[in-house]
Amino acid sequence: MSRGSDGVLGVARQAVEAARAAGAHYADARAVREDTESLTVRNQEMEGVDRAFSEGIGIRVLVGGYWGFAATARMDEAEIQRTAALAVAIARAASRLPREPVSLTPVDAVTGRWESPMQEDPFSVPLEEKIALLMEATRRMQLVKGLAFAEGSVDLFRRHTWFASSEGAAIEQTTVQSGGGIEATAIGDGEVQRRSFPNSFRGHIAAAGWEHVRALGLVEEAERTATEAVELLSAPECPSERTTLVLDSGQVALQIHESIGHPVELDRVLGMEEAYAGSSFLSPDHRGRLRYASELVSITADATLPGGLGTFGWDDEGVPAQRVPIIVDGVFQNFISSRETAGVIGGTSTGAMRADGWQNLPLIRMTNISIEPREGTLADIVGDTKDGVFMATNQSWSIDDRRVNFQFGCEIAWRIKDGKLTQMYRNPNYTGITTEFWRSCDAVGGRESWTLWGTPNCGKGQPAQVARVGHGASPARFRDVQVGVR
Amino acid sequence: MPGAFGPDEVRRVAEPALELPGVDGVEVLLMHEWGGLTRFASSAIHQSTWREDTAVRVRVVSAGRIGVCATNEFTPEGARRAAESAREMAAVVAPDPQFPGLAPPRPVPERDGFDEATASTTPETRAEGVAALVAQCAPGFEAAGAFETTAMEIAVANTEGQFCWTSSTQASLTTVVTGGEGGSGFAEVFAGRVADVDPEAVGRRAAGKARASQNPHDLDPGRYTVILEPSAVATPVGFLAWIGFGGRALLEGRSCFSGKEGRQVAAPSISIYDDATSPLTLGVPFDFEGVPRSRVDLIEHGVFRGAVYDLRSARQAGTESTGHALPPPNPEGPFPLNLFLAPGDAALEEMIASTERGLLVTRFHYSNVVHPVESTITGMTRDGTFLIERGEVGRPVKNLRFTQSILEALTNTTMIGRDTELASEFFFSASRVPAIKVEAFNFTGRSDH
Repeated sequence: MSRGSDGVLGVARQAVEAARAAGAHYADARAVREDTESLTVRNQEMEGVDRAFSEGIGIRVLVGGYWGFAATARMDEAEIQRTAALAVAIARAASRLPREPVSLTPVDAVTGRWESPMQEDPFSVPLEEKIALLMEATRRMQLVKGLAFAEGSVDLFRRHTWFASSEGAAIEQTTVQSGGGIEATAIGDGEVQRRSFPNSFRGHIAAAGWEHVRALGLVEEAERTATEAVELLSAPECPSERTTLVLDSGQVALQIHESIGHPVELDRVLGMEEAYAGSSFLSPDHRGRLRYASELVSITADATLPGGLGTFGWDDEGVPAQRVPIIVDGVFQNFISSRETAGVIGGTSTGAMRADGWQNLPLIRMTNISIEPREGTLADIVGDTKDGVFMATNQSWSIDDRRVNFQFGCEIAWRIKDGKLTQMYRNPNYTGITTEFWRSCDAVGGRESWTLWGTPNCGKGQPAQVARVGHGASPARFRDVQVGVR
Repeated sequence: MPGAFGPDEVRRVAEPALELPGVDGVEVLLMHEWGGLTRFASSAIHQSTWREDTAVRVRVVSAGRIGVCATNEFTPEGARRAAESAREMAAVVAPDPQFPGLAPPRPVPERDGFDEATASTTPETRAEGVAALVAQCAPGFEAAGAFETTAMEIAVANTEGQFCWTSSTQASLTTVVTGGEGGSGFAEVFAGRVADVDPEAVGRRAAGKARASQNPHDLDPGRYTVILEPSAVATPVGFLAWIGFGGRALLEGRSCFSGKEGRQVAAPSISIYDDATSPLTLGVPFDFEGVPRSRVDLIEHGVFRGAVYDLRSARQAGTESTGHALPPPNPEGPFPLNLFLAPGDAALEEMIASTERGLLVTRFHYSNVVHPVESTITGMTRDGTFLIERGEVGRPVKNLRFTQSILEALTNTTMIGRDTELASEFFFSASRVPAIKVEAFNFTGRSDH
């Protein structure tokens, strides 16, 4: 796209006008330009380095209360006209099956600009420096005897969005996200054991510049990470029992994602995701009534948090970023919603509509859904636990279609005995029922142990979309949990 | 509606990248996809989309150093810019000592997988299909799902002289019917031609399941004989693609088949193979490196025969690529995209009639790996799970969680269906599989619906 920023916004406006001319009662258009860069090093050898660039425009229309959406990578005038007309035709076709016409809750039409803050543009950092970091981290890991694979990765992402609507909105936003991680793999005796740092699945990504990757400590933590992977090979299996469970903040983040973040998506509650990702055990009647969790647990959806993957100025409907209480002192309060769905239950949008690139229509997606910090460190929580199991770093996840029964696997665990970490366990996992589990929470760490994690791989929708979302989490403790499922 | 660019235009787009000076080799992967998806919920169309996108992915080789750059600017200028960016990366990275070279020129199998009617399906046609499906729902029941029609062309060109191009179409219709007093039903169909999608049949099947699964009962977890319908069988088969059948994972000891070549890993009745060239699947006749795909027997009569390979892992293993590369750079290695579980001779009714007590499972949901080397996965049942007693399907049961080794389940398989379906899995491409009957399948938990 050779156009300047104003030019691209002009294309979005042109698309909106074309849709209106074709018969849309409401129209919005998002022109999106995305860049990614990804590096992977394994055992001090390059596994891959690649860059990708994508741009295009998605046009969303309402005709007689029915949605239509069409998207194209070609941004010339004729193609814009054709795509806008197609979006209108799609909306008209949708009226083949009558439904209550879509009504959008009001929003101020904003003209604005937003950029995620960063100190050092990661795309300008020389490749040599990025590779050198990963080479050194993998070299340090390889010094540990018995390690099979030492991997390091860096992932960079930049998205420019230009949004225009028939209500007069004109918004330009840019987010830059950077992340990195290391992973150590040990293999032997029918076991493959992995340890990752700072988190699994390519590390810790944040809406920040290269300074974030620099500060991760990939080199400094390499030896410990590799040592734990090798030690896991000879560790005993996590026992099967009901016990007290302490989770590190990374695993609490994914527990929030699967068993709170998804169930509170209002489109799922209204059945709009029924056939694919599933629905939710929640209903609108639960607001203000359902004891979702113990009194220690307060959960907030906050799109204004600096550094979050779910942070923005406005969502992809032009609704401003908000901080929304989801669970307050254990009681469920609010869903995350869109302009369409909020109206269905008599509220206003929480500003959670986001699309994966230009090719997809926006869906309700998590912003940064976080547990509010309480008190103490991980060491404090462990120190206050007489007997139990501490699990760290997510390895796998599974939850039913209404987000009730879950099972998670972690990379590593230790026995907690009289306030101390003792025996290491391999292949730890735990299972539970969402509300029973959260109600059993009796310790949540404080601000000093709270991390805003990035989850860049949240799947939802048809065609399938991937969202980049955030979760702030502290370590937490849960009572009477089934661990060691076999 | 757009159409395919065709091989000549695609070659023209790739040309400037292939002519990039100062490098040892260039590979250009070109993709063009377009189509629509009509999504419905509560028996109405709520999200309906159409999109067209392109991709030019250029891999540049310079003194054993590799750089990859992708763009969706499908023009000669876009390809040239991507090639230059890839060259810039290749100039500074370390060499890949395992780089096997680019694919040599070889003919690829012909495959006529393009149906003009599918490529040009209108939103009105899809809406009519959805209406026909929804009409199968009894009063008090609703349907949700998606009707998708897509077309694609893909080509690989490289400086070794390999050029291959193909185009294909796909139509799919999936639905979940809910309502009444709880319970739900699922059905799906995948085809290369929209004419082969029968919305009424899909709706009837799902609606029937939904009616039958009303008022599900609690059932204690434990080991049960199960009859897995094809949509459920797609889960264990699909996961074997991820944790077992890749040549790189096999070589590195990460596969559940590592060290098991030539050994019995499943019941003698189990044969699994990958075959993109079969008319019974929706495959592309070459891989993303431009190597022709061929049928690979992975498990034959219960014996593990071997894995799939791309050029890099084949070189490491001292064998030939089987044509299973994913787009570069792909650190995960080769992957089978067109799996088959060979049919047996049993009718589903015979499996049920032969079962004194067991469970009939429609499909699984959101499964994931528990122990990759032991091939253990966990997941939930969904959209129709029924108790079988004394040879008959009886009351529906609430959804159960399984935690089960796939290879143990395939070893405990006692009957295999004679009819196969292309069935999807949440994370993976569709496999063609029959129903199977498995003894002592391990359920470890339950849900409330």
